[in-house]
Amino acid sequence: MPGGILTLITFVPLVGAIVIAFLPRERPDLARFTALAAALLTWVFSLYMLIGFLPTHPGFQFVEVADWIPAFGIQYKLGADGLSVVLVVLTTTLTWISILASFGPIRERVKEYMISFLILEVGMVGVFLALDLFLFYIFWEVVLVPMYLIIGIWGGPNRIYATIKFVLYTLVGSLLMLVAILATGFAFQDAHGGQWAGAFDFEQLRAFAGTTGFANGLQLGAFLAFFLAFAIKIPMFPFHTWLPDAHVEAPTAGSVILAGILLKLGGYGFIRFALPLFPDAAKTYAPVIIVLSLIALIYGAIVALVQPDLKKLVAYSSVSHMGFVTLGIFIFQQQGLYGAILQMVNHGLITGALFLLVGVIYERTHDRTIAKMSGLSGRTPVYAATFGFFMLASVGLPGLSGFVGEFLVLVGSFAYAPAVAGLATLTMIFTAGYLLWMYQRLFFGEVSAFLHEIGSHLTDMRPVETLTLVPLATLVVVFGLFPGLVLHLVEGTVTSVLNGLGRATAINLLFWQ
Amino acid sequence: MSGQDLLTISPLIAAILVAVAVLIVDLVAPGRREPALATALLGLGIVAILTAVAGRTPGQAFGGSYTVDALTTFLDLLFISIVALTIAFAPDYLEPRDLPIAEFAAVLIFALTGAMLIAASTDLLVLFLALELMVLPGYLLAAYAKRDSLSTEGAIKYFLLGSFSSAIFLFGLAYVWGLTGSTRVADVAAELGKIASGGAALSPGLALGLAFMTTGVAFKIAAVPFHYWTPDAYQGSPTPVTGYLSVGPKVGAFALILRLFVGALGSLRGDWLDVVIVLAALTMTLGNLVALTQNNVKRMLAYSSIAHTGYMLVGLAAYAGGRQEGLQGLLYYGAAYTFMNLGAFAVVAALQRRPGVTSSLDTFAGLGRREPLLGILMTLFLLSLTGIPPTAGFFGKAYVILAAVQAGGPLTILAVIAMLNAAAAAFYYLRVVVYMFMREPATEAESQRHGNLVWAGLWTTSVLTILLGLIPAPLLSVVSDAARALGS
Repeated sequence: MPGGILTLITFVPLVGAIVIAFLPRERPDLARFTALAAALLTWVFSLYMLIGFLPTHPGFQFVEVADWIPAFGIQYKLGADGLSVVLVVLTTTLTWISILASFGPIRERVKEYMISFLILEVGMVGVFLALDLFLFYIFWEVVLVPMYLIIGIWGGPNRIYATIKFVLYTLVGSLLMLVAILATGFAFQDAHGGQWAGAFDFEQLRAFAGTTGFANGLQLGAFLAFFLAFAIKIPMFPFHTWLPDAHVEAPTAGSVILAGILLKLGGYGFIRFALPLFPDAAKTYAPVIIVLSLIALIYGAIVALVQPDLKKLVAYSSVSHMGFVTLGIFIFQQQGLYGAILQMVNHGLITGALFLLVGVIYERTHDRTIAKMSGLSGRTPVYAATFGFFMLASVGLPGLSGFVGEFLVLVGSFAYAPAVAGLATLTMIFTAGYLLWMYQRLFFGEVSAFLHEIGSHLTDMRPVETLTLVPLATLVVVFGLFPGLVLHLVEGTVTSVLNGLGRATAINLLFWQ
Repeated sequence: MSGQDLLTISPLIAAILVAVAVLIVDLVAPGRREPALATALLGLGIVAILTAVAGRTPGQAFGGSYTVDALTTFLDLLFISIVALTIAFAPDYLEPRDLPIAEFAAVLIFALTGAMLIAASTDLLVLFLALELMVLPGYLLAAYAKRDSLSTEGAIKYFLLGSFSSAIFLFGLAYVWGLTGSTRVADVAAELGKIASGGAALSPGLALGLAFMTTGVAFKIAAVPFHYWTPDAYQGSPTPVTGYLSVGPKVGAFALILRLFVGALGSLRGDWLDVVIVLAALTMTLGNLVALTQNNVKRMLAYSSIAHTGYMLVGLAAYAGGRQEGLQGLLYYGAAYTFMNLGAFAVVAALQRRPGVTSSLDTFAGLGRREPLLGILMTLFLLSLTGIPPTAGFFGKAYVILAAVQAGGPLTILAVIAMLNAAAAAFYYLRVVVYMFMREPATEAESQRHGNLVWAGLWTTSVLTILLGLIPAPLLSVVSDAARALGS
């Protein structure tokens, strides 16, 4: 494996974006295909990384280090472990699919759209690969601006409200995380006789956290700041209110990336940074976070049940599904953590596909009100079948990938506390309820008057649309039957995170010094 | 006075000569802007080179009242860039309004000499003279559109409050002089050092003097609650002047703070720590809250500049809390703020090229479609002002926050307040982006042509805004040298 592969994966989209900037405005097709080519190239490189990755090898691989701001020990440091590899490949896959899915719907300012999308990819991939906290923060914020533009420029009628809400929520969390990052780096520097070297290096910080450990006060404060940033991103109840607005207003591809990748940044942040660096604080806060996860699970499902808008329903189902992720992470069990990671991947695939499918019907009817549609199955059989497939995957049908992640989390939570597992299982019934009911209202029964009016515009799936969904469907089946493919990759990550936590003890909140 | 003294202050003399030369060129070739502009910009280039050369031999002149060290050089070069950029941005705005350009450049360069003198003075009296030399041309500039009633109103407010605060400052200075027996910064510092080490008590007179001086300086940097002159002066002034006023005199006043509060009163920093913390928290919070409600971009940027004063004060507070890094952060932030804010004002000025165009938010509607490049550059400046990486503004914020976190204690809370403020500020900065890219204009405005100088200035500020965020290391070493020159 040649060096620099990670830099290549991170910055090929940027090169694509720069090229697009110089293309003539009158030729939107050039911009479209350049963007697709850049995204596909990135995808190929990420697959190359996946093939070269050695799951049995502990620690980070393909590590690249260069001094960036030596005065503060800040480095340009990239590296990948199993978790990074899985999420990077998920990102690169969903990105080219989203770009392809934008060919039809995006007709205005195509150049700017494609540039935003590619820069978004730079940020997302960078977040998953950065091993320097400062660098991580920079990529984290880089994600924000293109998404702000994508929702704000190409979104629905209420897009400005939605996009500003999205940015403000995210910024509050991330700016406080910046304070925590700087405080952590300084604590490391202070403990090393004022030497800044390595103060933001994740591996050194983790080693420090695993031996000496950060002071209790710092851990409690910094974990809280990290938690806020990640909880808003995931989003956890009660920080989720930006999500339905953002999803409803975002263009289809924006929703796919939002649900597929952006929400995972939060889960990734917990597993990669918050737990290893502040294990004691994580143990301290875990019960609260588990309760919040359970609320998110049930609340998200119940609210999804009553949504009149199809996209909002899928958005709330994300809140519920991501509850499994945080639950799986914070029960500190092997199965739970495996399940959480798997759930992140599966949710990315399944919900991404569901948003694409919502986009298909919206393209034709310019409406997403569930009540206005019925009897779609007669008019668009292929669409109905595809929708049914992903809907069942989302319900958690055994054999499809959605099942395995949730099942593992449930097994883990049963070991943690049967009551928790009981409540979480209850959610799965709700999930089946709102998804099946939604499906029934959309596809069965008489063709509604509204759909009659649309008439011949209501066509079945176009080849491009099918093309975007086939890879996702394939992966859903493959991961459903062989979840070991993913689990095998992240074994090293799970072991190291749980080892770190094993030595930790909860901080007594009343008597810490 | 010796020959060596003259050599040491040669950049200052050169700057005065350049200002005079600009006026003479304008006399010889009246009504033509090119010769005057060329003289001004070339002259400033020479001043910059002289500054860099003089900065290589640190030393003092005139018996210790004038000091050349790394801090002087850094600040001087910053002031020179501020003035040069303002001169580059101004003609496109002034010419259509029949405002003379050569005088504008000359007055600015006179102000520059004042700012450069502040950066170098280590004597309280010289410091005061330098301050006046810097702000007096500022009053002139604020009233530059003399037929515009708003401009005159703003200038009068600026002048009255400015003179008032100068008087307060001078009053405090008199106390300090009387009670320490010297106006030399080094002597005052030694005298106060005795008090700090417990050898003597802080007399009520001295405390009063310090309080008056703090108040005077707080006016100059427009810290809350001494900021009331800012919005009117900023909104009324011709836009390029506003850009200059929001940066030049502010950085100048911070230079004064560094020379005075750090150089002379540094040993008492524990005593003014609380005051700076409160000032910083109030300044950024109030500046941001009021900026949130503005519909005029110029006025919004005026309030936001108050908020930025607050962030810079966080750096000063971190210094008072015992961290040298606070000064470095303050200086870095000053440089970052200079370029991003000048850039933002330059875009506003470019939009207002045609007389009669207001700086209201509506003017920005559809700019992203009408003039995409201008829209993108403005977005960059606004993102930097918000503090989004990888821009200069982000690194400046990270730096002062790092210093505050290092100082710990109440400063950690101040850091959190600063970050919450930054998040709130995102709302009004991004609102401009919303207008530029996400709204259609109510009336179709035509796109305008902008002069080469404006583009050159915009490219300079935008490239620096990105570079200072992406490759901060070179400037980091400069500011740490500059901060070290002040002693710890």
